[in-house]
Amino acid sequence: MIRSIDVHKVYRQGKSEIVALAGVSLDVHEKEFVVIMGPSGSGKSTLLHLMGGLDHPTRGEIVIDGQIISRMPDRKVTLLRRSKIGFIFQFFNLLPTLTGLENVMLPLILDGHPTKPARNRAEALLEAVSLASRRDHLPEELSGGEIQRLAIARALAFQPPILLADEPTGNLDSKTGEEILQLLRRINRENGCTLVMVTHNREAAGYGDRIITLRDGKVEKEGLQ
Amino acid sequence: MIRLLRLLSWRHFLRHRLRTALTFSGIALGVAVIVAIAAVNHTLVSSFQQTIETVAGKAVLQVTNGESGIRESLFPIIRDTEGVLDAVGAVEGFLPVSGFKGERLYIYGVDFLSDSSIREHEFSDQFGFDQALDFIAQPDSIALTESLSRRLDLALGSRISLATSQGVRSYTTRALLKERGAAKIFGGSFALMDLPVAQIALGKEGKIDVVDLTVEEGETVEAVKGRLSPRLQGAAQVARPKERGEQVESMLTSFRVGLFFVSLVALFVGFFLIYNTVAVSVIQRKREIGTLRCLGVVRSDILLLFVAEALALALPASLLGILTGLLLAQAALFSVGESVNNLFLQIDLTGVTLTLREFWIALASGMGVSLLAALFPAWQATQVSALEGARQTVWSPRTNGPRSASMLGWFLLLFFPAMLFLSRLGFGPVEKFTLGVVAMLIFLLGLSFLCPLFIASWVKIVGRGLFRPSFLSSVESRLASDSLYRSPVRSGITVATLMISLAAIFTIAAFVNSVRGSLLSWVDQMVTADLIVSSGSKTAGPMNVPLREDLATGMKAIPEVRVVDLYRLIRSTYEGKPILIESFSAQASAQVRKLPMAQGDGERALRGMAAAEGVIVSESFQSRFGKGMGDTIQLPTPSGTVPFRVLGVYVDYSSDSGSVLIDRAVYKHLWKDELVDAFDLWLSPAADQEAVIRKIKDDYGERYQLFVSTHRQLRAAVVDIMERSFRVNYAVEIIAVVVAIFSVVNTLLASVLDRTREIGVLRAIGATQSQVRKMVIAEAAWIGLMGGVLGLLSGTLMSYHHVVYNTKALTGWTFQYYYPLDVAFLCVVLAVGLCLAAGYLPAKQAASTPIVEAIGYE
Repeated sequence: MIRSIDVHKVYRQGKSEIVALAGVSLDVHEKEFVVIMGPSGSGKSTLLHLMGGLDHPTRGEIVIDGQIISRMPDRKVTLLRRSKIGFIFQFFNLLPTLTGLENVMLPLILDGHPTKPARNRAEALLEAVSLASRRDHLPEELSGGEIQRLAIARALAFQPPILLADEPTGNLDSKTGEEILQLLRRINRENGCTLVMVTHNREAAGYGDRIITLRDGKVEKEGLQ
Repeated sequence: MIRLLRLLSWRHFLRHRLRTALTFSGIALGVAVIVAIAAVNHTLVSSFQQTIETVAGKAVLQVTNGESGIRESLFPIIRDTEGVLDAVGAVEGFLPVSGFKGERLYIYGVDFLSDSSIREHEFSDQFGFDQALDFIAQPDSIALTESLSRRLDLALGSRISLATSQGVRSYTTRALLKERGAAKIFGGSFALMDLPVAQIALGKEGKIDVVDLTVEEGETVEAVKGRLSPRLQGAAQVARPKERGEQVESMLTSFRVGLFFVSLVALFVGFFLIYNTVAVSVIQRKREIGTLRCLGVVRSDILLLFVAEALALALPASLLGILTGLLLAQAALFSVGESVNNLFLQIDLTGVTLTLREFWIALASGMGVSLLAALFPAWQATQVSALEGARQTVWSPRTNGPRSASMLGWFLLLFFPAMLFLSRLGFGPVEKFTLGVVAMLIFLLGLSFLCPLFIASWVKIVGRGLFRPSFLSSVESRLASDSLYRSPVRSGITVATLMISLAAIFTIAAFVNSVRGSLLSWVDQMVTADLIVSSGSKTAGPMNVPLREDLATGMKAIPEVRVVDLYRLIRSTYEGKPILIESFSAQASAQVRKLPMAQGDGERALRGMAAAEGVIVSESFQSRFGKGMGDTIQLPTPSGTVPFRVLGVYVDYSSDSGSVLIDRAVYKHLWKDELVDAFDLWLSPAADQEAVIRKIKDDYGERYQLFVSTHRQLRAAVVDIMERSFRVNYAVEIIAVVVAIFSVVNTLLASVLDRTREIGVLRAIGATQSQVRKMVIAEAAWIGLMGGVLGLLSGTLMSYHHVVYNTKALTGWTFQYYYPLDVAFLCVVLAVGLCLAAGYLPAKQAASTPIVEAIGYE
């Protein structure tokens, strides 16, 4: 489903270069729940961003569902991301002025869906993440766990075959974090979503099928749970 | 603090060079306009003072009677007054040089033998006593300056032709003057003639324009003035040369106050630009402020830092503004000088100067406005908590909304009628005008404070889907409007800046439109003649060369000419203040002329005037001196002070100093003046206008350098003079537009910056670059639409007030309010168009923001 072929990512900062990824090759299979771990600065978030087409590798290829996205023009990557990839961020990244329902509807409306079906789909998703009663609240009126569930619902708006989660529990207390991880696991199992999750939490990593550990921009080890 | 400034502010300036440059230019531009206008105003008056003082030479007192002149028979009375040491008479005036287009000579006619006691004329070496006697003996002698002689290639002995009141006359250059003393005025376009020769050339036989006096040793100037004044019996006035300059200062008051008003607008608009920039800087450096607070910097130091930053930028910007202002003034002086020469009097403009006081005022304005503008955003900076440095949330807490700003806005709007009422109370014209302008500024400020509320209402309208441009989806539209509401104060400031800029533009446009409309309608009523014949200039005024009235006989003889009336316009004084005296034959033109009246019946007043029952005064005269229908006014004439009954008040835009209309027969009798500034000709219905023009030109054109204008050409000339006098206003309009663009670009960049993360999220969840671009552009368009509509509404009210009340208070003129519908439409289109253009750069920046960087952004 996702293939990374000798991916390098180098950032330039003034005159110096920072190597974030130094030749990462790996495969993520369909319906798999892969956890990427590693210490700070190991390149795990960078790899996730490249998989989601949010950034371009300096060298190497990223292939999503048979399509090389690293060479695609921006518009094409955006449309692919819209339909095939859902993102969940550590800091939730919801739009503060939109209600819960509107936040979930947003990707559908950006894609040009008519309002009514978009609303129905968003309501169903809110139901699925147990937030139906909070649909008209603004993000700032919700708790951390509710906000992250809302973000997950938004990520599922298109029923994407791929979900990419960047430290989804990093900003939550352990109990709430556990609830979120169970929800993600359920989505992976029930919806057949391919899930890639970046974390540095060992307990969280326990929810995945496979753990890939990065260090200094390279795959250090890879193993099944 | 200085170390903090160097460490933080300086680097911030360097990092955001474009914004720093915009603010720097904004302050410099505002100060430059103030300096330019102050320098032009100052130069206008000081130039005239200097001309008077240079020409006055050693004279400590001058006896004058405006353009009415002094009868020569009065001269012995003046000369023989106790305490007078020397008394020298002179005549002065401008005459065009025939054969040299645009060349005009300032003719000074003096008694060659006695003038040296007052003025020192330095002739070139060849001019000795014998040459002086020869000069006086020949009735065609003229002395030119050396520079003029070089410029026109007129050596000693060569002939020069001048278009005089007697027609074109030829003179022989019998002396060359060194450019010292009086000869250096008007850039050397100065010529000296013997008194009788100059009197004939200027049509002032038997009259003197000025008698210069020195007083005997041991006498005080005031004592001699006190003795002389009653001896003149109102037939002339005695004053120090400086006091004459002050008279001119009062003549130019409304012109100068008008210019000052324009500089105030520039300053007001500049205030908003500075506010905007500091506000953006605070947003941009929220995290930096939080970190500083974490490191122990107290709130007051944060306030000081931002204020000091604004001042650090304002100081060099103001200094640059002062320099630029002087350059601007130099450029504007020519245009303003042209207007003054056309409308008021000939002024020899010297180089632009700035007094120390004006320098400090300009510097204080730049610094003061920057300080005021920076205070509120600097205070907002103090409200950033220490936690901000570590904040990881995507949204910042909502502000309290526009409540407090709205309360202040409503208060100012309620206060503004009180100011209007105050401006109607019994103050002088300048005070009334100033209070009226202040009232308008309060109104604008009130509306500005309400802008956040308007934005909130607009967001609600868009949120309910009541308004959505077709190119936007409802969510795009909603997000664009939400971002406006995210920082209601900042967005409000931009809308307010745009509103103020447009209100200023619209007010100026409506004013010009109303002046043009009223002037043209007045010209149509006042000047009903088919042809107007004049010399020197198409319009009567300072550029005009008065002609002898016997030309009328020839014109009357043309069979197609039905009526010929003779028009004369001179500058005089009333109660020591400058006024205009206009005269024509009320009887000759009774059937063809209709006076636009402000008080009384025109026909009856004209009949009364023809029967020598009194005079008609202009409404500016009435407003300035409080004399209206039924009152009696005492006018100084060469025959002494004469009382006149006011038969009516007429509309007249010739001068805001005030005009008095007198029948020509009465004028001739009392003023001993038979000159004519314009011959008004009414033709028979079947007349061939072109043939009559040809005939007049053939008969007199070359000899008298005549302008024969049709009614339409005169209208065009009036419009042309008016348009030229409004050039400075147009320059301010351009500044207002530039400032508005700066402001919108600034706000949108700030808005994009503020929402970088949000934009990143939108892109991450599938928004295309074009969708992001459209949202920013929509935000810009809404700012434009709101600013445009509010600017138009406030501009409409302001312009109405400015045209109908303020101008009336300052000048006494009643202008009809002509609504510039085309400009109104253009204002809204321009506002939206400019905002769309201004939004392009921020939209591009937003769309091309790298997603990963944006999501990680704080």
